[in-house]
Amino acid sequence: MSSSASASLLDIEPRFFTRAQWASFLVPTLILAVLLPVFNALLPSENLLHPSIFTLNLYGKYATYAVLALGVDLLWGYLGILSLGQALFFSLGGYAFGMHLLLMIGKDGQYKSDLPDYMVFLGYKALPAHWEPFYSFWFAALAVLVVPALLAFVFGWLAFRSRIKGVYLSILTQALTYAAALLFFRNDFGFGGNNGFTDFKRVLGADLNSVETRRGLYIASVLLLAFVFLLYRWLTRAKFGHLMQAIRDGENRVLFSGYATARYKLFVFVLVAAITGIAGALYVPQVGIINPSEMTPEKSIEAVVWVAVGGRGTLLGPILGALFVNALKSWATRAAPELWLYFLGGLFVTVVLFLPGGLISIPGKLRLLWAKSSSKAPAADSLVVGH
Amino acid sequence: MLRLLVRFSFSLALLLAAALVLRAAPESAAQPTARAQLIAALIAAPVQQVAAIRALVGVEDAAITPALTAWRAGELYLVTLADGKRAPAMLAPDPGVEGQRIALSVDTGAPLLDYATGKPLVFALNQLKPLDTTAPLRRAIRDVLEVAGVSDPNPATRRESIERLGQSRKAEHLPLLKARLVIEKVFAVRSALADAIAFIQLADVDPKIRLAAIGSLAEAHSLAAAARFKEQLAAKPAPPADESAAMVSALKKIEGHWQVVNFFGNLFRGLSAGSVLLLIALGLAITFGLMGVINMAHGELMVVGAYATFVVQKGFVSAFGLGSTGFNFYFIAALPVAFVSAAGVGLLLERSIIQFLYKRPLESLLATWGVSLALQQTFRLVFGPANVQINAPSWLQGSAAISDVLFAYNRLFVFGFAGLVVFGVWLVLNRTPLGLLVRAVMQNRQMASCIGVKTTHVNMLTFGFGSGLAGLAGACLSQLGNVGPSMGQLHIIDAFMVVVSGGVGNILGSVAASLGIGTVDQLLQPVLGAVMGKILVLFAIILFLQWRPGGLFPTRNRSLD
Amino acid sequence: MPHPILQAEEVTKTFDGFRAINALNFYLFSGELRTVIGPNGAGKSTFFDLLTGRAKPDKGSVRFAADDAAPSVDLTALNEYEIQRLGIGRKFQTPSVFAEHTVFTNLVLSLNGPRGVFASLFHRLDSIARDRLDALLKLVRLDDKRHWKAGLLSHGEKQWLEIGMLLASEPRVLLVDEPAAGMTDEETHRTGELLLSLAGKHSIVVVEHDMSFVKQISVNGQVTVLHQGSVLCEGKFDDVQSNQKVREVYLGRGKH
Repeated sequence: MSSSASASLLDIEPRFFTRAQWASFLVPTLILAVLLPVFNALLPSENLLHPSIFTLNLYGKYATYAVLALGVDLLWGYLGILSLGQALFFSLGGYAFGMHLLLMIGKDGQYKSDLPDYMVFLGYKALPAHWEPFYSFWFAALAVLVVPALLAFVFGWLAFRSRIKGVYLSILTQALTYAAALLFFRNDFGFGGNNGFTDFKRVLGADLNSVETRRGLYIASVLLLAFVFLLYRWLTRAKFGHLMQAIRDGENRVLFSGYATARYKLFVFVLVAAITGIAGALYVPQVGIINPSEMTPEKSIEAVVWVAVGGRGTLLGPILGALFVNALKSWATRAAPELWLYFLGGLFVTVVLFLPGGLISIPGKLRLLWAKSSSKAPAADSLVVGH
Repeated sequence: MLRLLVRFSFSLALLLAAALVLRAAPESAAQPTARAQLIAALIAAPVQQVAAIRALVGVEDAAITPALTAWRAGELYLVTLADGKRAPAMLAPDPGVEGQRIALSVDTGAPLLDYATGKPLVFALNQLKPLDTTAPLRRAIRDVLEVAGVSDPNPATRRESIERLGQSRKAEHLPLLKARLVIEKVFAVRSALADAIAFIQLADVDPKIRLAAIGSLAEAHSLAAAARFKEQLAAKPAPPADESAAMVSALKKIEGHWQVVNFFGNLFRGLSAGSVLLLIALGLAITFGLMGVINMAHGELMVVGAYATFVVQKGFVSAFGLGSTGFNFYFIAALPVAFVSAAGVGLLLERSIIQFLYKRPLESLLATWGVSLALQQTFRLVFGPANVQINAPSWLQGSAAISDVLFAYNRLFVFGFAGLVVFGVWLVLNRTPLGLLVRAVMQNRQMASCIGVKTTHVNMLTFGFGSGLAGLAGACLSQLGNVGPSMGQLHIIDAFMVVVSGGVGNILGSVAASLGIGTVDQLLQPVLGAVMGKILVLFAIILFLQWRPGGLFPTRNRSLD
Repeated sequence: MPHPILQAEEVTKTFDGFRAINALNFYLFSGELRTVIGPNGAGKSTFFDLLTGRAKPDKGSVRFAADDAAPSVDLTALNEYEIQRLGIGRKFQTPSVFAEHTVFTNLVLSLNGPRGVFASLFHRLDSIARDRLDALLKLVRLDDKRHWKAGLLSHGEKQWLEIGMLLASEPRVLLVDEPAAGMTDEETHRTGELLLSLAGKHSIVVVEHDMSFVKQISVNGQVTVLHQGSVLCEGKFDDVQSNQKVREVYLGRGKH
């Protein structure tokens, strides 16, 4: 192959991963998904390398957050859709799986009834018909995918068809989330109102409080994150990825190039909703509760913050951001609870104003500074050519 | 400085309250005969008590109701005084040291004094046995109380007990009600009296009177009568044919009337909710619509206005006293203060953050959301996490009624004020040099700066103006609902929906959209409930944008994106 | 008589009461290179909008017929990407390229071929397409800048890139809006030559202000003068230039 041909190959169809990239993907994945659980199981708890089950649980939660953040980033950083409704899809997945978990409590609830506690409390006589299939794990798992995807499809179809975009779309997604949260807050909507679902006991016959189950959920979360990372990596490369970014930068031009952009947007929107739903479904058994406060617009915006802080338009940034902001949150809400909101607000403003590329852009910026100070030669050339 | 002012105003309010109480206290020494009758009845031997109490029916005295109410509730006691006499007494509601309560005289309401020491008599609850009641006694007490309310000094209480008497349908109350009708002056109470009389007359032996009563109740649009008519029409045996027919037509008339009333009431509530939305959305229409800045902190700027009103109110309370004539003007003074303080915060925000984000609307959304978090926390730290108390000036309290449709003054005010503000905004944008500059800059920032417009100044002023409008909205909202740190979040999404569906950058669109959304929301609420109504409106907006993606009044441009 | 590939009849379009296009009749014949001129606000860009689905006419018909045998298609019922797929390509007045993408990627995204979601997901460049792209890059003289971000090109280069993108989609009809704007005289002349070489195989409509450029490209073709949303006159360049009405409204306006 001629050199120019291979250059053009690089341009439009980059290799999925180089060998070094495979290494830097596989090593952390194996450490997180294999080594940590093994250490947790085998090392004595006083060993410095022993991660407590609490730590694994926390990491598992962060992993599901990272999947949520990756979805926000794929939509926002690559496709230009700032959706303020991603927490809704996350929660819908969580609720769908929560329904199954709630039914699996069986007669071990407070009221020793076949019905979930809140239904007994609200005076239900029988299980509503639409709950019946959720006794099946596989049905619930399907619902975790289908329910968010269906909502995303209906909303997206309406919105993208009439070419609502930019801030208008953001505001509409926010309104959608707001409306859904209002609905779930109501007792008569039938999903536990304010309190949502909690007190889960078991999943697939395993005790949710046992170390083994919690370790399993952690591993599942990490593997999900790894899988989603690869999937999104695949989506963002080659022609499809270029088209996503082209839609972000100039949708009309893509339209006049003969692409039905609304379908592209709908495809990504629905796909991300379904995957975010899975993350929500894994989140719920690990934190043990799902309630409507998880689907408020504020939660969605928080996820956007993770992405902004980590660095949007990259796939590593959102993961970093989700970890960093949440670690900061759990530290700050203990150390200085009344200052946390200032922290978060300040972080936001700072990143938007001074670090639009997010944390992930810091090394590059430093390198650029270094290059500038070490050689007075104009750095413009290296910027222009790129490869 | 602020804290000093607050503390000062607090102490002044306390002093004032104390003075009021002192003045009110020595004012109960009238009608010795009625009182004596009451006291006698209380301490009479059980056999005579029923008759003695019955004798009080229709007697007017302020002491009767509290004493008999207490008796019925088992909270009336017989106290033996030092001179051996026995006196009926109630115990003060709040216990003193070691659960000792002061005994209060039924006669005057003042503490009973120890004959020897001159100090108030105190008892613990378990020291005394409450006065017994028997079933016939309780019936007698009920009869007395039922009637006593008719002559209560408070018109609202009067009206209530008159309505109760009407509901009781006892012919024996007719003379009392008729007698009261002769002397009653308050219009609302008079119509309640007429209704009650007619209501009792529905069961009259004379069919003519019955028919006339049906007619007058229909005329009065009495809802209670409607319920009764339905009951009677369904009963067996059915009332005579002519009465049935009269009831059916009366029912139609009453229900028709209330349908109309409810419709107009909802319409008015909808328009006023819409004008609140409009006030909030106008500021947004300027910052978002004209400038393209998504200010998620707009709700918090509104809260700044509301808290400014609260602070001004405090100042007026300390200067003039609560409820005084001077106090009533505080709201007038609060409006400019709210405008200026919100505009000030807005200017600060524009200078420090937003000016860097004019080309990045989505990021302005994020940064201002961060600001809104910080502002909310600041409100919590300065004013506390709970809602603060805003007292409406007297001219904003109460309501006007036109044919049973209530028009609350505060809502009327907001409606009119919103109209004024819209007019003002229109004037500023279309009839002032600033407006010309604003429109020039908003249409083409670069071109405007090329022809020498100081765009930074125009941006600053425009953003400040929009923020000030949010402050005005907050001041108005403080008269309609709670003022708390997170009140901004409640309204911001609705306001954004208004701007989006009205067509961005178009004031007229915002007016139409906010009034439309407010009204539809209010008209749906009685049918669907508050939350479902709101959700339906949200979905209606999403669907509406299918039909008109640019909103009601879209703006066009020629460039590709 | 050749067959009209594009025909617009009695087309009217108003914006807020302003008649941008007023009872316009326009016929483009297969293989023709037509130049459209007219003063500012004559409705040239709106006319292109109507042809490409960006705007819908209030009245009148806009039809496209690929060849004599094929039934003509009502363009007013189609949206932008459907019209593009019929083979009507447009170059915009302001150069619209994907600034964040490389020159090469810009062309790849414009290539004719399946445009569906899954086609893009599993898309691979075959060697035929790759050769075509190489040829195109040479044609628009950007082969040495194929890895540049398009946003870094000069104004004239962006115009050329956009023409290249247009050609990559292999259209039947090219609608070219002010291609010479921002170009040097030499570049302008070359653009003219390129357009002339494309005529015959493609049907082309060019909107232009630059009169020497108009003169260059209309050597064999017709010039249409638009005025207040209607056709004022149509003919050879010299006839149009000497037309009294045209001189009044357009060419000689400054001289009165």
